[in-house]
Amino acid sequence: MTAPVKEHDIPALVRTAIEKHGGKQDALIPILSEINAVLGYIPGEAFHQVSKQLQDDPTEGVFVAESQLHALASFYDMLSTKARGAHVIKFCENAPCHVVGGKAVWDALREQLSLKNGETSPDNKWTLVTTSCLGLCSVGPVVLVDDDIYGNVTPEQVPNILGRYE
Amino acid sequence: MINLKINGQDVQAPQGSTVLKAAEQAGINIPTLCDHKELTPYGGCRLCIVEVQGFRVPIASCTLPVSEGMVINTNSEVLQKSRKTILSMLFSERNHFCPFCQVSGGDCELQNAAYHEEMTYWPMQPGWNDFVVDTTHPYFILDNNRCILCRRCVRACAEITGNFTLSVAERGAASSIVADANVPLGESSCIKCGACVQVCPTGALIDRTSAYQGLLADVTEIKSVCVGCSVGCGITLQIRDNRIVKIEGDWDAPVNRGALCEHGRYDPMYEMRARITTPLMRKNGALEPVSWEEALSAVADKLKPLSGDPQNGVAAIASTRLPLETLNTFKELFGDGMKSGLVTSTEEGMTTQAVSALADKVGTFEGHLDTLKNADVVFCIGANIAKSHMVAGFMVKRARPFGIRIISIDPAEENEMDEIANISLKNKPGSDLALIEGLKAIIVDEGLGRTPLTIANPQQLIAEAVEKTGLDVESLSEAARGLAHGVSPVILYGKGLTAQRNPQLVEALLELATLVGAVDEERVGLLSLKGEANSQAAAQLQMESQFTLNGHKAVFAAIGDDYVSKKLVERVSVAPYLVVQAAYESELTAKADVVLPVTIWSEQEGHYINLDGRVQKAIRAIEAPAGVRDNQAVLAELAQKLNIPLSGDWQRASQARHSSVVLN
Amino acid sequence: MQTKRAMILVSSDPESIRLGANDLIKSLNESLAAYGLQDEVDVSAIADIGRADIVPLVIVYPEATVYGPVKAADARYLVEEHLYKGRVATDLLAPPKQLSGHIGWLRSRKGYNPSEQRIVLERAGRIDPDSVEDYITNNGYEALGKALTEMTPLQVIETIEKSGLQGRGGAGFPAGRKWRFVRNAEGDKKYVICNADESEPGTFKDRIVLEGDPHLVIEAMALAAYAIGSDEGFIYIRGEYGVAYQRLEKAIQQAEEFGFLGQNIFGTDFNFKLHIHAGAGAYICGEETALIESLEGKRGEPRTRPPYPTTNGLWNKPTLVNNVETLSNIPAILRNGPEWYKSIGTPSSPGTKVYTIMGNVNFSGVIEVPMGITLREVINIYAKGMKPGSSFKMAQTGGSSGSIIPAALQDTPMDFESVRKAGVSLGSGALLICDQSVCIVDLVKVLLQFFRFESCGKCTPCRVGTQRAYEIIDRITQGQGSFEELEQLPELAAEMERASNCGLGQTASAPVRDMLKHFRTEVEAHIRLGVCPTGVCPMVAEEETAPA
Repeated sequence: MTAPVKEHDIPALVRTAIEKHGGKQDALIPILSEINAVLGYIPGEAFHQVSKQLQDDPTEGVFVAESQLHALASFYDMLSTKARGAHVIKFCENAPCHVVGGKAVWDALREQLSLKNGETSPDNKWTLVTTSCLGLCSVGPVVLVDDDIYGNVTPEQVPNILGRYE
Repeated sequence: MINLKINGQDVQAPQGSTVLKAAEQAGINIPTLCDHKELTPYGGCRLCIVEVQGFRVPIASCTLPVSEGMVINTNSEVLQKSRKTILSMLFSERNHFCPFCQVSGGDCELQNAAYHEEMTYWPMQPGWNDFVVDTTHPYFILDNNRCILCRRCVRACAEITGNFTLSVAERGAASSIVADANVPLGESSCIKCGACVQVCPTGALIDRTSAYQGLLADVTEIKSVCVGCSVGCGITLQIRDNRIVKIEGDWDAPVNRGALCEHGRYDPMYEMRARITTPLMRKNGALEPVSWEEALSAVADKLKPLSGDPQNGVAAIASTRLPLETLNTFKELFGDGMKSGLVTSTEEGMTTQAVSALADKVGTFEGHLDTLKNADVVFCIGANIAKSHMVAGFMVKRARPFGIRIISIDPAEENEMDEIANISLKNKPGSDLALIEGLKAIIVDEGLGRTPLTIANPQQLIAEAVEKTGLDVESLSEAARGLAHGVSPVILYGKGLTAQRNPQLVEALLELATLVGAVDEERVGLLSLKGEANSQAAAQLQMESQFTLNGHKAVFAAIGDDYVSKKLVERVSVAPYLVVQAAYESELTAKADVVLPVTIWSEQEGHYINLDGRVQKAIRAIEAPAGVRDNQAVLAELAQKLNIPLSGDWQRASQARHSSVVLN
Repeated sequence: MQTKRAMILVSSDPESIRLGANDLIKSLNESLAAYGLQDEVDVSAIADIGRADIVPLVIVYPEATVYGPVKAADARYLVEEHLYKGRVATDLLAPPKQLSGHIGWLRSRKGYNPSEQRIVLERAGRIDPDSVEDYITNNGYEALGKALTEMTPLQVIETIEKSGLQGRGGAGFPAGRKWRFVRNAEGDKKYVICNADESEPGTFKDRIVLEGDPHLVIEAMALAAYAIGSDEGFIYIRGEYGVAYQRLEKAIQQAEEFGFLGQNIFGTDFNFKLHIHAGAGAYICGEETALIESLEGKRGEPRTRPPYPTTNGLWNKPTLVNNVETLSNIPAILRNGPEWYKSIGTPSSPGTKVYTIMGNVNFSGVIEVPMGITLREVINIYAKGMKPGSSFKMAQTGGSSGSIIPAALQDTPMDFESVRKAGVSLGSGALLICDQSVCIVDLVKVLLQFFRFESCGKCTPCRVGTQRAYEIIDRITQGQGSFEELEQLPELAAEMERASNCGLGQTASAPVRDMLKHFRTEVEAHIRLGVCPTGVCPMVAEEETAPA
């Protein structure tokens, strides 16, 4: 479960991420991934901080604009520029899971959660998204809840899986 | 040169050229949409694909480097079909229903490309998601529904302006153009230069003022020079019915290569001041309309007796937005003719006098804006290039991704440079000399200098610098090292330094520049920003003195279309008799005894010397309103009435003195 | 699952069937039962033998002994001699001089599992991936030591060239030639990149290697670096592969401690620094120039080419990009020599191929077999047949951008040359086996949904083409298809293939093309009759369930 943004000191978080991955251009994705992992998404303030702190580094200052960071984050599926629910459910929508009954599992998920693809529940508990292949095709259909992998999922199992999360 | 064959024709192109450029030079047209000659090739739209012998699939010619023996076909039947399908795809992608679009009918490159391929419809069923039209910006509108994702705007914002506000969000069909981290354009970091609008091939980015005011086919285009500041950008004016409907950066102008700032592009379009169209004379305490003859005669009568009295005669002040010819006539009339001891400019030499003084002593010592192209460190002192002289600022800002380091030193609390500078120091006002000497001392002390310089007691100078500037030694050292580590550093200085009217400061800066290798035999990386469009011309005419009235009985102020500062109004308006030659009503005209209504920048012609010595001609684009006379003509007529002969030899006059920059 | 001791393949092409192949299979099964061998030995059918003179033909694995022609009456004798007594039934042997061509390579496939031969997956699952000692005791770093101390970089390249190893990323470009390009490229700094951004739906072979045998990739990259003159490498691993990332991280640390990475490796002046870089969820980053962009911290948008990464790659330096599977072949080739490698697989496509099998079959998982095996063999032998009640309808190969193979093509040998001729793509080696319950239109819709979601959006044909094609197919599944739009599909597909900037756009139309080529009747039924023959498609308008 990810903590609400306000509990985090974003400048400090950004500083830690930059220290860990280095302040160079090729560290941008790891830096953003780190922020995303802590906050569940990357708020505007984080883009601002990354841009600013990278530029201000007196020895290795690298210029990357906020817009470029946002462009970067919004390109990659594992990074989110929008706030997400406490638990993110990712459903593999690709062919291998589809032909072994994926659609029925997807329908069950949508029905159970009353969410459409990309939506977050009003209580901010769940976010439901589809994802591309996770490389777990031999146990399809596959559902990922946060970091937990569920394979060979049937529609009947969906309530049980969801019930495991507070 | 590389030899290749395009459509059976032998073509030669320089190494590094693209097939698209080689074809263009050979007179072979290849349709494009995303390509733009001033932007890095992108290869996205795929309209320019060509067949290359030996390649399995066609290749985008805009990104394809020429190679020896290449055989290219640009227009096979298959390619023609491809282009039609690609255009069909683009039309079907978003809302491209032309009749409702501002640029439809000639200004839309998408529509034009379709007509070129003889398309009259597209067969695919469109399917798009509506994007919110962003109308939050004061000058333009961003409509992603009309966007073809060519990214010219994104590239222009980065590569021309160096502002990096626009980028692409999401990916695939969901891609859209957004500002910063997806905020409304009006609330973004946009500096409103409008480069994105100028390069947009469709109606996705349109100007509020020029929209629906006429297509390119309906307007006359006139190339001229912007008189917004001393950079002297080339502009293209679009004229319709004696009205400027749009101002664009001139792609062919050597100074700016198409770039333009907010002030150059939009200020004239949003001119709100009231125009004066008839001469006015104070009668019974109030300004009343009079004829030109009455006004000029009255002025001549009043001024004639004051001739030959340098101290108590007439004081004359002219705007540095006026053309060189006008300034020269002004100088001849009041200086040579009436022997006034006070003939100066509205800038009073604040941006040039200290520089000129050193030039008088050592000759030309300043360099060229072009040195910024290869600069790896830019050291700005008393110069806020993020706000003033913005296009010069673009040249620095756009180099940021390539590792340029920016050091800014300025006491001003509010300084836009803080946003872009890697090192930003705020010294105490008036401590610049100590600061420069301190930097030199640190560089010498640490052995970082590129040319020999002996400083007797560097520690003492460093200590003095610390004391006077209020900065700690670490900050000063960081700046000194940052500058000294540059392979090709450039030092820019501005009004913050020159307004102190101390040539010693400039000399110290020149020494610093020589010490760090900014100035050597091969390149001169030292340049002052000057001020307004003709600051340098005023300097060459020696119109640089401070405007201080003694017993002057009259003041003649040729303001043209310039703004007048409150401080100047206060000082000028104490004159017993005040003649103001101006285009717009102002506090100054309100206090004048005679107001002579004159032309504005676009209604007159004449030369300007920009900050690095380029002598450029601004062209008359529109006719002045009835009743308004040319700035130059008014002065000439007055001279005639005063029986003062004018030579009009502005070339000679402007070269009578050493210039800090090479004039050409 | 009980391990099979042996496997019997019986030719079942039309000629063999005419000559009693089906009876032969029946008799073989009866005989095996009679000797109590039914659980130890598998009997399967193969086709496309094309040798009427010696059919029905029987191949017994793992020895790959070829008998033929064999009659049903010979079955009991054959089982008794070969499988019970363990000696060759010489009188039934096919004449040796006949064993060329297709039979030749079938025969060449010998292995400890029924004709499986593991090079890439040799250690995965058998050693402790967190133990460098385990790797070393299983021939690990032997090749690197040999190359560094006994071979010049050019000799390493020559060995790879001679082995005939082709890139396993999909295009099948000769690996040695690519190495030579980078070696010959001008530049003081060169990079080696391992493409571990395995994102092709249905593909998880690289994950097995990375998780099960991480040192193999490290050793191979060091070899590549030595060969091309590089001192720095990157493993670009997809962000979703957390376990693999951790194993690699640990393996690199161990390799550094043991001196297989770092300075003066094996006491030579060869230095090699290896980094891992995790992706962040973008299929397109499997495209090598997109991968390089992503590695540089940018959006993973493919560059325009030429120039190619071999001369202008990472940070504009000459760069070698090889896929995990390609690299995993390298140490074994250097250990055993190019001739050994060429003896595996087919003459034009030497070596093995790792496949991932899934779908409506009894066994899903990963196998490594010699190049040239047929789809029918994969289904019948390795996948243990279709699921009960399932019959084979089609296979989707090579991930989303591969091919859809109808039953008629299931006997095409899967090697680079043969599949190219048949207009089929091996791609990543994913084999998604579909039965009669899968609707072709629905399947293609899912594939296009993937592409339109994963298209980077840089170039028009891919960005718009995937979107338009998806919409047209989607309308067909909702009973709103039209023949007019159906006719637009080939045009769209052709343009995507022709004018797209990179492989994604160029191959994204493959499913559409295959659908129209092999299953047109089924598609037309949706439009003409308003019926989905498999009952999968809703055939009424439904709300959008996928993101735009």
